Amino acid sequence: MSEASQTHEFQYSNAHHQAETAISGMWLFLATEVLFFGALFLTWIYSRHWNQAGFDAGAQQTELAIGTINTVILVVSSFAYSAGVAFIETGNGRRLIQCCAAAWLLGVAFLILKFGIEWRDDFAKHLFPGTGFALHGPLSGGAQIFFVFYFLGTALHGLHMIGGLALVGWIILRASRGEFSPAFYTPVVVVGLYWSFVDMVWIVLYPMIYLVGRGP
Amino acid sequence: MTQRFRLLWLTLALLLVLLAIEFGASFLPLGRSARPLVLIPAVLMVGVVGTSFMEVGRGPEIIRLFAVAALLWLSFLLGLGSLDALTRIEYPVQAANPR
Amino acid sequence: MSDTVIEAPEFAEGTASYLTDGTTLRSWLLTTDHKRIAILYFGTITIFFFGGGAAAALVRYNLIVPQGMIASAETYNRLFTLHGVVMVWFFLIPAVPATLGNFLVPLMLGARDLAFPKLNLLSWYLFVAAGLVVLYALLAGGVDTGWTFYTPLSSAYSKSHVVAAVTGVFIAGFSSIATGLNFIVTIHRLRAPGMTWYRMPVFLWSLYATSVLLVLATPVLAMTLLLLSFERIFHIGVFDPALGGDPLLFQHLFWFYSHPAVYIMILPGLGVISEIVPAFSSKRLFGYKFVVWCSIAIAVISFLVWGHHMFVAGTSLYSALVFSILSYVVAVPSAIKVFNWIGTMHKGFVRFDAPMLYAIGFIGLFTMGGLTGLFVAALAADVHLSQTYFVVAHFHYVMVGGMVSAYFAGLHFWWPKITGRMYPEMWGRAGAVIIFIGFNLTFFPQFFLGYLGMPRRYHAYPPEFQVLNVLSSAGATILAVGYLLPLAYLTWSLFYGERARANPWGATGLEWQTASPPLTENFVSTPTVTEPPYNYPPPEVVQRHV
Repeated sequence: MSEASQTHEFQYSNAHHQAETAISGMWLFLATEVLFFGALFLTWIYSRHWNQAGFDAGAQQTELAIGTINTVILVVSSFAYSAGVAFIETGNGRRLIQCCAAAWLLGVAFLILKFGIEWRDDFAKHLFPGTGFALHGPLSGGAQIFFVFYFLGTALHGLHMIGGLALVGWIILRASRGEFSPAFYTPVVVVGLYWSFVDMVWIVLYPMIYLVGRGP
Repeated sequence: MTQRFRLLWLTLALLLVLLAIEFGASFLPLGRSARPLVLIPAVLMVGVVGTSFMEVGRGPEIIRLFAVAALLWLSFLLGLGSLDALTRIEYPVQAANPR
Repeated sequence: MSDTVIEAPEFAEGTASYLTDGTTLRSWLLTTDHKRIAILYFGTITIFFFGGGAAAALVRYNLIVPQGMIASAETYNRLFTLHGVVMVWFFLIPAVPATLGNFLVPLMLGARDLAFPKLNLLSWYLFVAAGLVVLYALLAGGVDTGWTFYTPLSSAYSKSHVVAAVTGVFIAGFSSIATGLNFIVTIHRLRAPGMTWYRMPVFLWSLYATSVLLVLATPVLAMTLLLLSFERIFHIGVFDPALGGDPLLFQHLFWFYSHPAVYIMILPGLGVISEIVPAFSSKRLFGYKFVVWCSIAIAVISFLVWGHHMFVAGTSLYSALVFSILSYVVAVPSAIKVFNWIGTMHKGFVRFDAPMLYAIGFIGLFTMGGLTGLFVAALAADVHLSQTYFVVAHFHYVMVGGMVSAYFAGLHFWWPKITGRMYPEMWGRAGAVIIFIGFNLTFFPQFFLGYLGMPRRYHAYPPEFQVLNVLSSAGATILAVGYLLPLAYLTWSLFYGERARANPWGATGLEWQTASPPLTENFVSTPTVTEPPYNYPPPEVVQRHV
């Protein structure tokens, strides 16, 4: 429950009340994010349904290796952050910083692989839809629609990653000032929820982009 | 507290196993329409992340309420939304050039 | 229960209120007080209301003669699009939640503020930013797609400023999400001691249901508008039939948001009426739990009916059947509420003050709007009525006759609480009657126009429709007077109105238990709730009392 030293805003009865409310608020925000990406998933269903062959032909142009490595990276990053939360619950602030730093670096590695290498290659291979698109013939339309989905989906996920990195960096900064303790670590939990959610989005995007369209 | 860490390690292992299954399953000779089945391990992974990393079972009751609401409304969107595409009858069109 | 339940403590004149707690511009623009943010919203949406109204006035002016009074087809398209975009996203959606809701949710709960006050302020700034972007789109030349932004018109063919307008709507959406999120978490977490769920006023339940819609529907619109902007900017996208894309997907995604958005607009109105009818009938709300659960039922079912906007668009017959049946289902909880309000008035001691006049007008017009909705929910009838003035009349009965009346009802009802001043009662009643008459004269002829086959969104029409169009335009002038009247006398009352007591209507509810206007912290000490809502004494007691 609330520590005597812990302040809380005037509309709450105590710090615990405020902490649980903040966590609830983040969950509700993530619910809105589910529907945000849900609309993209429905787009995927429609686009693939009408042009299965073309859509899959587009998917086969993607870099399976980078996508798979990135998925592993994000899963481990989410794991590292969760371990950080578990550490601060026992009062180990130093371990919290290390875990968050690991999560942060893995996130940066994801972005470098995704946008520094994979996107660069995609552009080099003329996979951005429009005139000059790499694929021609009857499958071209569906493949271009796949790449609209691909670029929009990865860009939006990337923006969420950048936002998440800023938040994780903010947690590292506050933790290095010794602001967190077993009595107060709500921001760590709230940011962790967001970080894991961004991971979840990628877990779903990964098969939609790289696996479903890749026939045997 | 060590129990918590053991659980986290176990979660990581489970996620990587599921990922491997998903990756492997994508090489199975499935027909085009059956290939979205590859998404099943991904859905399981989302559930694992939610319960273990995000600890959906902890904290006040409304957290579960929000999580369930998100999934329910997502099912509205995807279910009713795709109903049209999956049952629509496409009639042949005469026009040669759409643009 | 003694008569004194409806009496509230009186506060000494000149007690510091939220209005006097800091008078600099900075103290307003950086406030996190939910009441001040409500006032900021009031000011902003009033500007939008009259801006959107001016566009509507020009539309009606143009339609006085068959060939059109002023506008070319292009200008006319921009006018009705401006009217739609502004009225939907910048007036109707925020109207009650962001103003009355922001002001009243903490007061009714017995809380000191919303759960996330800074987020609340952010939502207002997002709203203003969105408004400025839309203003830019307007000044740069306007948008001509209609508020629905249908592809491929919006993505490929329109020569107007679609991306700017869409960006404005996109930003406004996040403002909605912030408000909805705040309300849901606040209602869950910040109820005063003893304020159980079934002791909450229906207004709070309605806003809860509204917020569910805001947070779960708006993100889908956001993604839809991103897909649309992508397609317009890069000339390639998922809705492009030339590539094998499906333009109907846009409509599915758009209406997944925009049909629930209709209920975002009307549900808070239903909540306002559920407060006013018991207060001015001095009677408990008839069937409280029914009304409560009907709000929740509407919130859920309204997500399952969006396909009825697409019956003639070429969707699958099976999905159209499902959507048609579900559309009938959603009418049931709305109808139950109407019966409950009438049941509340029955044998009550009904006073016809201005809020009640607006409320009674609401009940009639909302019923009309709802019943005509059933016509267009029927597959066969919709083939004839879709895209005609029948649809225009139908949704204006719900949105304007219903929602705007409810907004004015609530504005008059809580005006003493918000400003600490009474509005002039006779003028208030006159305004309510003029709006009712003007509204019906404007929109009732449109049912006939639509039934006779006049399509919507054209700047010209065949001469045989002129009489009905002139009637409609004449009604619009009366309606305009009706809306300008409150602007005048409510502004007047801010300076010269009689000072309001804490509880001028003798109403129940925690908001009436504190001073008018309330203190910055809302209550001197956190109230404890011990009674059910609408705990009005029996009618015979009230009658004797008066």
